[in-house]
Amino acid sequence: MSRITIGIVDYELGNHASLLHSLKKLNYRVLVSDEPSVLDQTDVLILPGVGAFPMAMKALKEKKLVSYLQQQAQINRPIIGICLGMQLLTEASYEGRYTKGLGLIPGETIELAEPLSHIGWNNIDRVNSDSILEGVEGKVFYFNHSFAYEGPSSYIKFTANHKKKITVIVRHGSVVGLQFHPEKSQAAGRELLNKLIIGMIDA
Amino acid sequence: MNDLKFCKRCLYSTAHPLGLTLDDEGVCSGCRIHEEKDMLDWNDRWAKLKEIVKPYRSKDSNSYDCIVPVSGAQDSYFIVHMVKERLGLNPLLVTYNKYFNTPLGIKNLANLRIKLNCDILFQNLNPHIVRKITKTTLRQFGSMYWPILAGQTVFPVQTAVRYKVPLIIWGAHQGLEQVGMFSHEHEVEMSRRYRKDHDLMGYEADDLLSIFDTLSEEDIWQYRYPEDDKLNTIGVRGIYLGNYVRWDPKAQHEQMIKLYDYRTANFNRTFDSYDYVDCFNYMGLHDLLKLYKSGYSKVTDHASREIRHGRLSRDDALALVKHYEQQPVKYIEQFCDWLGITPRSLNFMMDQHRNEFFWTKVGPQEWVFNGGSVLQDKNTKNISSIAFDKDFLATDSLKYNLNNKYITIGKGWP
Amino acid sequence: MLKKRLIGMVVVKNGWAVQSFGYKKYLPLGKPECIVENLDRWGADEIIVISIDRSKDNLGPDFDLLQRLAKLGIDTPIVYGGGIRSVEEGVKVIQVCADRICFDALLHSNLNVVNELAASLGVQALIGVTPLSLNDEEVELFDYQAGTTKIIKSDELIKISNTVSELLVVDWRNEGQPDSFDFNLIDRLPSFNVPLILFGGISTVKQMQALFSNENISAVAVGNFLNYKEHAIQNFKERLTDMPLRTAKYENSIIEIS
Repeated sequence: MSRITIGIVDYELGNHASLLHSLKKLNYRVLVSDEPSVLDQTDVLILPGVGAFPMAMKALKEKKLVSYLQQQAQINRPIIGICLGMQLLTEASYEGRYTKGLGLIPGETIELAEPLSHIGWNNIDRVNSDSILEGVEGKVFYFNHSFAYEGPSSYIKFTANHKKKITVIVRHGSVVGLQFHPEKSQAAGRELLNKLIIGMIDA
Repeated sequence: MNDLKFCKRCLYSTAHPLGLTLDDEGVCSGCRIHEEKDMLDWNDRWAKLKEIVKPYRSKDSNSYDCIVPVSGAQDSYFIVHMVKERLGLNPLLVTYNKYFNTPLGIKNLANLRIKLNCDILFQNLNPHIVRKITKTTLRQFGSMYWPILAGQTVFPVQTAVRYKVPLIIWGAHQGLEQVGMFSHEHEVEMSRRYRKDHDLMGYEADDLLSIFDTLSEEDIWQYRYPEDDKLNTIGVRGIYLGNYVRWDPKAQHEQMIKLYDYRTANFNRTFDSYDYVDCFNYMGLHDLLKLYKSGYSKVTDHASREIRHGRLSRDDALALVKHYEQQPVKYIEQFCDWLGITPRSLNFMMDQHRNEFFWTKVGPQEWVFNGGSVLQDKNTKNISSIAFDKDFLATDSLKYNLNNKYITIGKGWP
Repeated sequence: MLKKRLIGMVVVKNGWAVQSFGYKKYLPLGKPECIVENLDRWGADEIIVISIDRSKDNLGPDFDLLQRLAKLGIDTPIVYGGGIRSVEEGVKVIQVCADRICFDALLHSNLNVVNELAASLGVQALIGVTPLSLNDEEVELFDYQAGTTKIIKSDELIKISNTVSELLVVDWRNEGQPDSFDFNLIDRLPSFNVPLILFGGISTVKQMQALFSNENISAVAVGNFLNYKEHAIQNFKERLTDMPLRTAKYENSIIEIS
């Protein structure tokens, strides 16, 4: 059986060492690239992200990765967006100025307002059943964001609670968004990533 | 390195490999912590130690209360004496075969376990892998002692887990004693962090695996620290006698010579004849590597210790250091024979690790030393007037036989 | 429910991780990478690395250290502070290694930069550090560079706190002294719009229980005291059983993959 290869979409915003380390510990092969020809060779794409939405979209545009990712979603390639990466999957965000996103998952990214930010470790609750993420209810992951997804409930798989219900996992076909940082959530994060990757490939 | 500064009292500098801080008066963290030795109530601290070991005393007489790592030198007699005679605990001694064994070290260790009537476990790893790792660590980071340090610090912990004896009693904490890493009152205990950071220079067994493709799992697995969940299940804990007893190696060794006939020997690279008598290389090649890499050698550690105990003036200490650190190294051929390399290869490998800050190459095979002692004072004082090193008694010598061969553990005679 | 955090604090001086006492006495510990890696293995909820003297000596952030930390690839969130003077530097610190940044000097020299950092990185990435003490019931701010204290009014503190996502309040006088955190200090602080992280002289379970029970406090940071025993983080967590904290975990590298 050949090893599964993960492609980390590199648009030069942030450090991938933790993500790389987690994936390698799980025995996956990992390629980090901004080139479609390299990313095409992978089984699952991961879109990480730090910073602000407008800056990230600008970087993706400059790297000509916007249409690439939209095409990959069209042909049902597994794509995982992490933290800001999840927000980029949505149609638009209100962070800074109203900016269009990749539009891979219907819904928008809106300011949390109250609370101002969702920071720290929180447990996640299942709201919609989905075979690819069995057994992760109640597990605790690291969050660090001030904006969150709002959209049709059919795409919302898991929420977390901090002063209000916050969407933390979304899914639309082969595209999944994680609002938390699995690569910063120690063993629980690694286990979830692993389940997710295997689940998405088998789906 | 360019802002290297020296302590006003002892001979250490801010370039010390364990780290060293200086306060506003120019006195180093090591000297400041040493001051505690004359300020703390040691009776009080001894009482604390008795409380700490209390729960580990076994209720029946068919188990061990603690594990004590020993060798044929290095305060081992004093530690076992304190544990058995003063604390009344029943220890299991453990020792790691360092390979560079002197006859004196073997004699001392046998004498220790017999006089103090203790059970002992030897860990003796196969010579092929020990040589293989030594070659790698010598070449890559100028250490011929990595397997020894790794083995000595992990075997007691593995034994604690395997035998389900949680308490390990060590002597003094090197970081505390040399550079004041901790106050005695912090009651620091053994940690995997300290082992990796300082004993193993930042490289644990698995790091050697991932960095060097010459080594494989079968070479290094014996040096691997037990997992946290195992340590937690057994409740493994390593304490340091030096946090509860006023630590003075010179006085302690002299007491052990009197009480148990611990044997000592002269070294040509230091005035201290009490320590490291169990190894042909610690005060030889290993010491020279220290001089190459850190710009100072073991005699500086001995001298700084004696300054702090008020038995040596800084001037005299510096003179002794300058004399001893340049003395020739012995037993080079034995090491080369054992490792399977030529003296020339050895020289080449060692030269790669001369720190440029302390050594300047002026010709093929010619180097000028600009280390700690020189940076402090370019002049050299005559040491014949210093009677100090006569204060250390040598009651034996490292070897009996003529060819200075490493003693093979368990070989028997002849 | 959002958990409270037990944070490991690593103070770095001249490239060495040190024990820090009252912002003036230091004992060497070792390589920062080894301390950070150890806290990660123990399961600290976050790790804060503060490189002191960077602002004092106008050296900017310690990017060498950040690169070495990045190589570790650890899976615990890292906060970096020390020498951040501009938006570019703050953004670069995140790009090289850290998940969040913290700063002290910048809060008083240039709040505009802080606001721009919030726009570039998201306010959640920013933590403000305020070394405070009480003088006759008046709250005073310690200026580390000048070595002096001066009274800081409530509205000034609130204004500063509104530019970041959390405020790290340091009881700098008691830093490094066991069981000495000044609880009177918290009583004298105004109500903030952001949660507080507390640091300085916190070494006992009793203190932590009292602090974690306060709804305005999201985290407690511990420095020196985590270096004395093995499994220090787990030991604290195991005794804080009725607190909303993540449970202690002991590493076992056998990963169960179902």
